[in-house]
Amino acid sequence: MLAEQQRAQPALSLPVSKRERRQRLTPWLFLFPGIGVLLAVGIYPVIYALWASVHKVDLVNLAAGTPFDGAQNYFSAFLNSLFTGAVARSLLFLAISLPLELALGMLIALYLHGTVLPRVRSVVRVVLVIPMAMTPVVVGLIGSLVFNNQFGLVNYLIGFGHMQSVDWLGNSQLAYLTTLALQVWQWTPFVTLILVASLATVPPEIEEALRLETKSWLKRLRYVQLPFLLPGITAALIFQTAYIVKLFDMVYTLTGGGPGVSTELVSIYIERNAFRAFDIGTAAAQSVILLVITIVLSNLYIRFFYVEAEA
Amino acid sequence: MKCFHPRGARRIAAAAATAAMLFGVAAAQPTPGAAAGWSLADAAAPYKGTTINVVILDRPSYVAEKALIPQFEKTTGITVKTTTYPYESALKAETLNFVSNSNQYDGILADLIWTGTFANSKWVVPLSTFTSNPKLADPALDLKDFFPVWLDAFKWDNVQYGLPFDSYSGLLYYNKCLLKKAGFSSPPTTWAELRDKYGPKLTNKSAGTYAYALQSLRGETQTADSFSRFLWDFGGSWYDPKTYAPQLASPGAVKGMEFRASLAPIMPPGIVSDDHAQVVQLMAQGKVAMITEWSSFYTTLNDPATSKVRDCLAVAKEPAGPAAADPAFGGFAYMVSSQSPQAKQDATYLFIQWLASKAVAPQLINKGAVVARKGADTDPALMKKYPYLAPMVAQWAHSNYDWRPRIPQYPQMSEVVANYGSQIQQGSLGIKPGLDKINDEIKGILTSGGYIK
Repeated sequence: MLAEQQRAQPALSLPVSKRERRQRLTPWLFLFPGIGVLLAVGIYPVIYALWASVHKVDLVNLAAGTPFDGAQNYFSAFLNSLFTGAVARSLLFLAISLPLELALGMLIALYLHGTVLPRVRSVVRVVLVIPMAMTPVVVGLIGSLVFNNQFGLVNYLIGFGHMQSVDWLGNSQLAYLTTLALQVWQWTPFVTLILVASLATVPPEIEEALRLETKSWLKRLRYVQLPFLLPGITAALIFQTAYIVKLFDMVYTLTGGGPGVSTELVSIYIERNAFRAFDIGTAAAQSVILLVITIVLSNLYIRFFYVEAEA
Repeated sequence: MKCFHPRGARRIAAAAATAAMLFGVAAAQPTPGAAAGWSLADAAAPYKGTTINVVILDRPSYVAEKALIPQFEKTTGITVKTTTYPYESALKAETLNFVSNSNQYDGILADLIWTGTFANSKWVVPLSTFTSNPKLADPALDLKDFFPVWLDAFKWDNVQYGLPFDSYSGLLYYNKCLLKKAGFSSPPTTWAELRDKYGPKLTNKSAGTYAYALQSLRGETQTADSFSRFLWDFGGSWYDPKTYAPQLASPGAVKGMEFRASLAPIMPPGIVSDDHAQVVQLMAQGKVAMITEWSSFYTTLNDPATSKVRDCLAVAKEPAGPAAADPAFGGFAYMVSSQSPQAKQDATYLFIQWLASKAVAPQLINKGAVVARKGADTDPALMKKYPYLAPMVAQWAHSNYDWRPRIPQYPQMSEVVANYGSQIQQGSLGIKPGLDKINDEIKGILTSGGYIK
C-alpha cells in the first residue's frame, strides 16, 4: 500500500514532475558546452565546405558574389592533374608509411611485452612518447636542419666516411623518402603504445599455457596475441590514415611541398589552392573528396581487420 | 602610370580620386605656415592611449622598424603592437583578416603585387583621406622625395594607397676575394659572362664551392626570383600590356628558361629547395661566389654575427640579359585598413607617415632597413657607408613596377608559375611543354578575370 502510494505520488504532484524535468535536463546542460564547441569547430566547417564546394567562392573577389556552380568544382578537381597527382602522392605515402609503422611498432611492442625488465620497459615507454610529443612543425624544422645539403648534420656525419654529401631535400625521390622517414620516426611510437596496450589485454594464463605448448613466438603471435591485437591495429590504422591524409605541418616546414611537386601531398595542395590562389570553392570540393577517401578507407579497415577478441 | 585594370567603368571614379589625391599631395607639401604649425605630438594628442597593430615580416627592415617604434610611442602616446609573419604567410593572414571583417590589423603591409587585390576589394583606405586632413598631414612629408617608381607601385586606378617601406632592387652580391683569386678584378655585367667566363673558374665541386646560387624554392621565390628574372632578361614578359595575351611561352621566355637550366653546373645541387635564407647563408659561409638577391639582404651579409665574408663582400648591378630588360623589382608599403575604427585609422596613418618620413629614413638605413627616399639613399655619407645604395638607386631609375603583374589575379598566376616553374627547373617537365602549360593556365585565369575578351 505504501509502495503504491509512493509510486502514485510523482504522477499527482506537479513540483516533483518539474524536478524530474530538471533532472532530465541536467545532463544536457553539462553536455551543451561540449556539443556547442563540436558544432562550432567540427560540424559548421564541414557544412560550410559542402556549401562552398558547389558555389564559386573567390576569396579576393567576394564582391562578384558566390553563385551556385553545381558540380563544376568537383569536375575541376578531377580534371586537374596537380590535384590528382597530389592525391596519388598521398596514397603512396600512406601505402609505404603505414605498413612500416605497423611492422616496426609491432616488433617494438612484442619486445616490450616479452622479456624486458619492468624498469627498462618503463623507461622505453617514456622515450617512445618524446617524438609524439613534438609538434609536427618542429619535426619539420629540425628535419630541414638535419638533412640540409650544405650544413646538415647527416651530411656532416657522412663526410667522416669520406663519402659525397647527399642532396636529401633537393632531389625529388630523396626528399620524398626523407619525408617518409620523418613520418615513420615520429609516429611509430604511437602505433607501438597502442599495440603494447592491446597486448596487455591478453590473459596471462593463456599465454603461459601456450608457452608450455610451443617455443615458437610466431605461433604465439598468430593464435593468441593477434586476435587481441586486431582492435588496436584497426584503431592505429584509422588514426594514422586520417593523420597522413591531412598531413601538412611537418611537410610544409620540411620541404614546402618541393622540390617541384615531389612532396606536395594533397593537404598542402589544397591549402595552396585555398589560401594562395584563394579559390575556396575548388579547395572545398577537393577537401570533400579527401573526406570521402578517408571514410572509405576507415570502413575498409573495420570490415577487414576489426574482430572482437574473446578471452 | 600604366593602368592594368580592364574595367573602364571606374575611370570617372579614378579621375575623381586622382584629383582628391593630388589635392592631398598638394596639401602635404611643406608650406611655411603649415610647417610652423604642425607637430607629430600635437597631431597625435587626440589619439593618446590608442593601440594600433601593425603587420611586419621576419626581414632586416622590420628589425630596424621595431627598434625605432619606441621613439614614435614616446612622442605620441600611441602604442604600436607588431605581429610578425614569414613572407609566405603574410598575404593569407591579412586576407583572412579582411574577409572575416576583422580589425585585427590596422597597419597593413602590402607587397606591391598585392596592391590590386587590396585596393580593388576596398580593404585599404586611399591615402588622400589622410593627406587632405591638415590635422594629420605632416607638411614635411614631401612625396616628391620618394623615387617615382615606388609611389607608382602602390597606386591603383591612379589613387595612392601606400607609403613605401622596405623597398628592394635585385642586386649582384659577390665575394671579391674569391673573384680576385680566380683572376677577376670586377664582377660580370652580363648573364653570359657569369655563366661562361666566371662560372667555370669559380666552381670547384670537390671543394663544395660554386660560382652562383639562384634561390628557387617553390612559392613566390620560384615565381619572382627564379622565373621572372630570366623571363624578362631574355625577351619574355607576363602578357601583352594592351591585349593581356600571355607571353609566357614566347621565344624569349623559352630562351630565358633554357639559360636558367644551363646555370645548373655552376650552382650547388638542390637549389630548387633553397629560399632566400639558404642562398644568403651559402654566400655568407663562402660556399658561393655570387648571388642575385634583394637589397634588403645586405644587412645579413654585412653582419659579422651571420657572415664570414663581410670583408670580401661587394655589391653591383644585376647582370644583364640579351634583352637588357628592367632589373628585378620588389618591395612593400604600409597601408591603412578600412576595417579599423576611424581613430585607429588616423593613429595608424600618423605612424606610417612618421616611419616613411625623410627624417626617419637615415636612422632606418643605419639600422639595416632599405627605404625608397631619394634624400637618404643618395646621401654621400650613407652611400659611402652602404655600398648597396649606389647600384640600387641606379637600377630604380629604369625599374618597372609591373615586373610582376599587380592585378588581383596575380596570386593565382603566381601559383601556376611556381607549380610548373619548379618542375621545369628540376627537369621533370620539359621547358617548352612546361611553359605551354603555364601560358594556357594563365590565359584561363586572365579570361575568367575579364581581361581577355
